[in-house]
Amino acid sequence: MSIVLHDLVKRFGGHAVVDHVSTEIRDGELFVLLGPSGSGKSTILRIIAGLVPADDGRVVLHGRDVTLLPPQDRNIGLVFQDYALFPHMTVAENVEFGLAIRKVPREERAARRDELLAMVDLAGYARRDVRRLSGGQRQRVAVARALAFEPSVLLLDEPFGALDVKVRGQLRRALKEVQRRLEVTTILVTHDQEEAFELADRIGVVEGGRLLEVGEPGELYHRPKHQFVAQFLGDAALIGTRRIGDRVRVGELELPVPVPAGGDGGSEWALLFRPEDLALVDPASPAGEGKPLGTGRVEEVLDLGPVRRVDVRIDSLEHAWHIGAGFGEEGIPIRTFLPALRNGESALREGEQVRIEMRGYHLLPRLSMRVLAWAGDEEGLDEVFPMARTLSTVMGGEVTFLITARDESDGQRKHASLSAGLSARGMTAPIEVRYGPPVEEILRMAVGRRQDLVLVPDYERDAKPTRERRMVAEDLARRAGTPVLFASSDKDRIERVLLCTGAGEEGKADVAFGGRFARSVGARVTLLFVDDRVVPAWEQDRIHVEPPWILEHLRRGVEALRARGVNAHVEVRRGPVLEQILAEAEEHDHDVIVVGGHVPGSRGSGRATPDLASELVRRADRSVLVVHDTTVPFAAVRS
Amino acid sequence: MRASDRSMKWLIVGLVLLYAGLLLLGPLVAVVTGAFAEGAGALVRRLSAPDAVHALKLTLLLAAGATVFHAVLGILVAHVLVRDSFRGRRFLDGLVDLPFAVSPVIAGFMIILLFGRDGWLTPLADSAGIKFVFSLPGMFLATAFVSLPFTIREVMPVLEQHGHDQEDAALTMGASPWQAFRRVTLPGIRWGVLYGISLTFARAIGEFGAVLVVSGSVAGLTETSTLFIFRSLDERDAVGAHGMALMLAAVSFTLLMAMELVRRRGARQMTKGEEI
Repeated sequence: MSIVLHDLVKRFGGHAVVDHVSTEIRDGELFVLLGPSGSGKSTILRIIAGLVPADDGRVVLHGRDVTLLPPQDRNIGLVFQDYALFPHMTVAENVEFGLAIRKVPREERAARRDELLAMVDLAGYARRDVRRLSGGQRQRVAVARALAFEPSVLLLDEPFGALDVKVRGQLRRALKEVQRRLEVTTILVTHDQEEAFELADRIGVVEGGRLLEVGEPGELYHRPKHQFVAQFLGDAALIGTRRIGDRVRVGELELPVPVPAGGDGGSEWALLFRPEDLALVDPASPAGEGKPLGTGRVEEVLDLGPVRRVDVRIDSLEHAWHIGAGFGEEGIPIRTFLPALRNGESALREGEQVRIEMRGYHLLPRLSMRVLAWAGDEEGLDEVFPMARTLSTVMGGEVTFLITARDESDGQRKHASLSAGLSARGMTAPIEVRYGPPVEEILRMAVGRRQDLVLVPDYERDAKPTRERRMVAEDLARRAGTPVLFASSDKDRIERVLLCTGAGEEGKADVAFGGRFARSVGARVTLLFVDDRVVPAWEQDRIHVEPPWILEHLRRGVEALRARGVNAHVEVRRGPVLEQILAEAEEHDHDVIVVGGHVPGSRGSGRATPDLASELVRRADRSVLVVHDTTVPFAAVRS
Repeated sequence: MRASDRSMKWLIVGLVLLYAGLLLLGPLVAVVTGAFAEGAGALVRRLSAPDAVHALKLTLLLAAGATVFHAVLGILVAHVLVRDSFRGRRFLDGLVDLPFAVSPVIAGFMIILLFGRDGWLTPLADSAGIKFVFSLPGMFLATAFVSLPFTIREVMPVLEQHGHDQEDAALTMGASPWQAFRRVTLPGIRWGVLYGISLTFARAIGEFGAVLVVSGSVAGLTETSTLFIFRSLDERDAVGAHGMALMLAAVSFTLLMAMELVRRRGARQMTKGEEI
């Protein structure tokens, strides 16, 4: 192995930008680290080069542990994103720099330099001023310079990022050729999946500082293990489904579940289709070779020259839901490509009914919900524990407990108390200790670690919580970006969820997340709308009919929930909103109330108005889940 | 354009010319006419007298010393302030500007407090055999104090703009931190450094207050050019005062021109550098 990364961790301000990354890169391999910008891939490269010290973990190059060595002792060639050529030197001086530092004799240096410049197709450019070169030429000088001193490893940080598309294609081929000829082990960082597919022997997909998956390009494309990888690499249609025994059902089809080694993979699975897995056939024609998935309607046909891109919406399928469905969205959108029309062929038209046949598919386990629990103290643990256990057992969620402490000794004391408390209740969960004010640390970790849900003790007026717990609850109800569940101890199973919706643009995130939450615990949902219009006395005995736009909103809400595989019905009540919600929860014994929250434009601007969410958290004697609207993009990606 | 607007414009231009003429050109003309008032022969005689030559030599020596001193330490301080983060960095950053805020006379007075009779550091200086007050080391300290911020303040923004990618690139190619600095960073910031040390030199040769307090102003021993001018005026030696002033003005003017040249080249360098 040329490069071995062992459990690398790098934190900036408490936020892990590189989060326990381990992998092995083979001799002479071209390994591509692929991920969206800000995913931490460049930091991994800088840790290998020794320019950024790792907080934890080891880097081993050709069997030598270099973790503690400075960059100059690692013998690594690094090409920077903006090349970092030395502007006061000529091309030759740039390329020879590493050799001059190593005191290589002049003639030898010149020979090596000419050889490399010829290899990158810049023979005769030695005496040029680097400032007078084009972008593509500079990039090649940077590559030649990084290779001149025969480094054991070549690292490239987005080497094509600053170039225009045409030059990019040429340089990719040139780079691959040079890399093959020298057989130097190479890591290339990019956010461009096309580049990754063209160059890589193997690809490692990075997201949120974690190396999600490593594999050959085709393997990752066709058989990803993570939903993120499936969606990041090319077009993907993902259909959520539930496992029954050793199979999953999607509409009429029953498909066997591949049981992954070391576990059953959880109860929820996602069915992945690539455009080439699907065939569109005339609904009247006899069954073809593919498995019939269902029928649908052509939504858009786009002529792209050699191919036509066809977007089809499959009619709702039983036992299946569209992962990441928008509000009020029906059916499941898929995308496929057809060859361009030949003369005389009849065109597929928008609005046409088609039957969708499946020629291939891949099943991948759904990631379980990630829950961050904060108890505060022993009484707080009493409140959150039943819910934490339900979430981890029924829902299969990953629960992490967070302790916030003033100092080291405070942290150790709380850690001991919490782990004793957990083991006394027969639960094991990872515990993290952070030093700082609770709310700040909870929010920072929730965002930094991409938690789906924050779990904190409920706070009721008469329960006399500690000052710390009360402040955490009040503050989180107002300004958390991640959904927060204020857990109350009296319920340890979740069968009924009361989803309070307001009409209008708001209330989409709460329906989406509340629906996902209800589905994963197997609860029924009541979609509640409270009409708080003041009705004049002389009209009170007349029958009220809700305005059509409200009915439409509720219909779409129920559809969004059913599309997620949730059993839902609508309830409408009249009167003051807060009181009616509490009355409904009381009458029908709901276990969790889900409510959307407002995120004020700027926090700390004067006195915050007590909004519905914090009032509910304060008044309700049961668990409340507050979903702020800022969670829309996040929830949509993961749900 | 209306007539009133036009006359307004000319009024403003006239005011600017008057202002520049009175404040900048006036003294220059006065110095030149004063220096040559008794003819070129008298001027040459006065300026070649031993006390005048000594004063000029001393000034150039002190200024050159302060400039070299700050060229080395100023770059170091700028580098530390830009690249390192440590507790007290902002305090140090603010402290650099102290010489701008404190009157040079007060600075001189502080040196006397530290190194004069019964000064806090006098025993230390005595044991090292160095005499600060009324001697060259004290005058050097005073000059160095007042000219401290210039190199640091010029180099910091240039260093920041230069970034550390090139330095990092040099490190990965096997250069030691010192080699990376000398062969990559220093050439990259050289125009900023040159500009900074020119300003340092200009400030140092013009220093008066702090040196006056510290030196004791003994002619032929601890008298700098500015102190020489002060004494000449006192002794109604107009030719001496004006002549020495002319000499300093000539040095400053040359420096100013050189600096302008450097600045232009530096600016051209920067726009070219942006293409990289």
